Amino acid sequence: MKRLAGWMLATPATLAIALLLVIPVAGTIGMTFGTPGQGDWGIVQPYADFFASNFRRRVLWRTFEVAGYVTVISLAAGLVTAYVVARCPAWTKSVLVVLAVFPLLTGVIVRSFAWLVLLGREGMVNQFLIWTGLIDGPLTMLYTPGAVIVAMVYIFVPLMVLVLVGVLENIPEDLLQASSSLGAGPVASFFQVTLPLAVPGLIVGAVLVFTASFTSYATPALLGGTRQMMMGTFLHQSAMVRFDWPGAAVVAAIMLAVILATVLVMTRLAKRLNPMAT
Amino acid sequence: MPTRIHPLLIAFTVVVYLFLLGPLIIIFGASLSDTTYLTFPPQGLSLRWFENIWEISAFRRTIVTSLQMAFLGTLIALIIGIPAAYALNRHRVSLPAWLSTLFVLPILVPEMVIGFSLLRSVTVQMGVPVWYALLIGHTLLVIPYVIRVVSASLASFDFSVEEAAISLGSHPAKTFFTIVLPNIRSGVIAAFILSFITSINDVSVSLFLTGPGISTLPIQLLAHMEQFFDPTIASVSVVLMMLTIVVMIIVERTLGLAVVAK
Amino acid sequence: MTLPLTIENITAHYGSTKVLEDLSLSLAEGELVSLLGASGCGKTTTLRLVAGFLQPTSGAIRLGSKDLTRLPAHQRDIGLVFQNYALFPHLTVRENVAFGLKQRKVASAERTKRADAMLDRVGLAHLADRLPAALSGGQKQRVALARALVIEPPLLMFDEPLSNLDAKLRVDMRVEIRQLQRANGTTALYVTHDQEEAFSISDRVAIMHQGRIMQLDTPETLYQRPANAFVANFVGFENIVPLSVTARNGAEVTARSDSGAELTLSQDQLGAIPDRFLLATRPDGLQVSTDPAAVGLPAELGLRTYLGRAYQYQAQAGGLSLVANGPLSQPLETGTAAKLVPNPEQCAILQPE
Repeated sequence: MKRLAGWMLATPATLAIALLLVIPVAGTIGMTFGTPGQGDWGIVQPYADFFASNFRRRVLWRTFEVAGYVTVISLAAGLVTAYVVARCPAWTKSVLVVLAVFPLLTGVIVRSFAWLVLLGREGMVNQFLIWTGLIDGPLTMLYTPGAVIVAMVYIFVPLMVLVLVGVLENIPEDLLQASSSLGAGPVASFFQVTLPLAVPGLIVGAVLVFTASFTSYATPALLGGTRQMMMGTFLHQSAMVRFDWPGAAVVAAIMLAVILATVLVMTRLAKRLNPMAT
Repeated sequence: MPTRIHPLLIAFTVVVYLFLLGPLIIIFGASLSDTTYLTFPPQGLSLRWFENIWEISAFRRTIVTSLQMAFLGTLIALIIGIPAAYALNRHRVSLPAWLSTLFVLPILVPEMVIGFSLLRSVTVQMGVPVWYALLIGHTLLVIPYVIRVVSASLASFDFSVEEAAISLGSHPAKTFFTIVLPNIRSGVIAAFILSFITSINDVSVSLFLTGPGISTLPIQLLAHMEQFFDPTIASVSVVLMMLTIVVMIIVERTLGLAVVAK
Repeated sequence: MTLPLTIENITAHYGSTKVLEDLSLSLAEGELVSLLGASGCGKTTTLRLVAGFLQPTSGAIRLGSKDLTRLPAHQRDIGLVFQNYALFPHLTVRENVAFGLKQRKVASAERTKRADAMLDRVGLAHLADRLPAALSGGQKQRVALARALVIEPPLLMFDEPLSNLDAKLRVDMRVEIRQLQRANGTTALYVTHDQEEAFSISDRVAIMHQGRIMQLDTPETLYQRPANAFVANFVGFENIVPLSVTARNGAEVTARSDSGAELTLSQDQLGAIPDRFLLATRPDGLQVSTDPAAVGLPAELGLRTYLGRAYQYQAQAGGLSLVANGPLSQPLETGTAAKLVPNPEQCAILQPE
């Protein structure tokens, strides 16, 4: 009876996700396999084709590179900022949290657009550099990997800050008091107590940012264009511009595999490194 | 314990916040420009680009579609997500463990992959009209948020209160509406707002599901940016930021912003 | 090494709320003093001020000749035992104990040696490589104690160290704490809300209320001679009867209650008795008697409860609600008229408020 009640309540959501997500995505993955006997690689021929193409390999590698840079930079900037925010007096802290939530709630398009304005040939950054006399003519900054990385860091730092403020606040205050009562100054306390205890949280934040930047579309599309194609923009181009659906499906499947592998491996790692777990 | 923080760390934090907020302020300035191309600082002040938003019919139509998707998608997600969250918390023992994993799939699977897969199966194979396919995509997208946020507030709900009501003669179904729902109200409101914002801002799923004549605002903004580089985009951005501020004020007044930070 | 602690005229605020007012306290070398009181009385605030986690609004804190008042917490050299143990969850038991030595730049081998020796003293040498999560509450508390002791601090402080342990373990642990503190001769400040705990292990106890010390004395004095109504009530003198002296005859004093009952008390037993005073007794020290010749407060008995060693009665005596005990041999019903006879050995004389 109770079992039945539980199932009845969970059924609509279960059906919705099974029918409208699991089956369609499974279908996409299904179409990435070739016919056995065709080509050297049999049913994985489409994947072999993907990796045989210099261009596609470069897209995949570039995506890893950009996502990696974005993750590392966001982690570093986010950790320092979160450390300061978490130690601020209550009122200042809530203002700083609100100021981080605001960009987070503002759409990705709007935030990418801001960098389009800043980094253009006539943009503020060029105008400023010319004014200072550092350069004579405008630099080309749009459609470079640097532009994509800067804009993505911009997009993901607020997320990282909020995650890490939560992580740092979860570290019991009395551990830091114990540490200082035993003679550890702020620096020693940070490296010997705070940082080791924050590692699982840092991993969670890094996974969030890595997966989101690996699969992002709007920012690479606006700031990287076709010259700095990443997996997201390449998937879109394959499916909607070139109508190469089997090719697009392979891109989608590789994307999915990278994300699932990252999430699985890293959450295991975070769990293993969590000393708070009993 | 508010301790002294090294001035260098504070300086770094100030720089990070300038980096976070500066570009948004620049958009605000650019939207007030009197010129037909984007500059900052604006040359001559005017609100003409704000008027322009409503004059471009594509914006008008896509704003309406975006609001429809966000509102209806969130509503459907609440209707099917709240019972699921309740079941997960109340009947956890009788449900398989993989169910909660299933419910986070829409977040776990990249939105681009979901969008492309829905295009293939729902739009093309099943022939579902564009508007409905878009609604399906937006509903799927926000279900995990609803389940997670509502679950969080159910987790702190003491179910013995519900049992007390039932022991006093209240029908279980009625008890849900008179006892449980009022107690998780703030969670439901938070889920609504979070879902609404997620849906309004979505690019990656909508990208594949919009069709001739039916599009959402972010997709329309992307298309517009490919052709024009005028301050209309900045004005739309400002309007969206204003909406965000209004939402944040509402959240702060009703629930406290800590909800969003989680 | 051990040093005396002096707290001079400390006032402290949380925001705009005053939590300590002009508090002074000194601990002699090797002395264990408890701060005892209900939550919110200021005892933990006092400890946190000495530890350096809070700053006083005014006043000074000295350890030996060193002024601690503005010194950062990590330079104060105080061993602190926390209520929740506050063990570092990512470090083994040995690393936890060695943490303070590491901060003092003690070489690695020496660190391990001293940490192991200290763990041996608290009987946990066999758990040195475990993580704190694998320990029981009592073991965690021992590690916390070892961690605070190993740095050989001139002052030890305990913040309700036993409140998370079960009753049996609490008694064992407090004996152990007292033995270690005695053996090291370390000055110690001990915060608790548990009266039995404070009285059993302290040289002196400060009973605190609303940010002030109401009385600082040995446990024996506090228990038998409370200085005021608050302390009397705190240590179990539930009955407080206002009386006025009507006649003095040498050491004998005759006093009358507001309702007109007369009692005869001896100053030899109770100390000097002022003209107006409060007579405080525990229920044990106020015996119910139905003997018409008994000298006591006439009362009407109310609800009777069974204590095992005696019956206890709620009684009404001339407008006062009192609690008195009566013999097991003679259970009395509600409404019985009786006399409540104070036992001078279990009474205290207080100044009227």
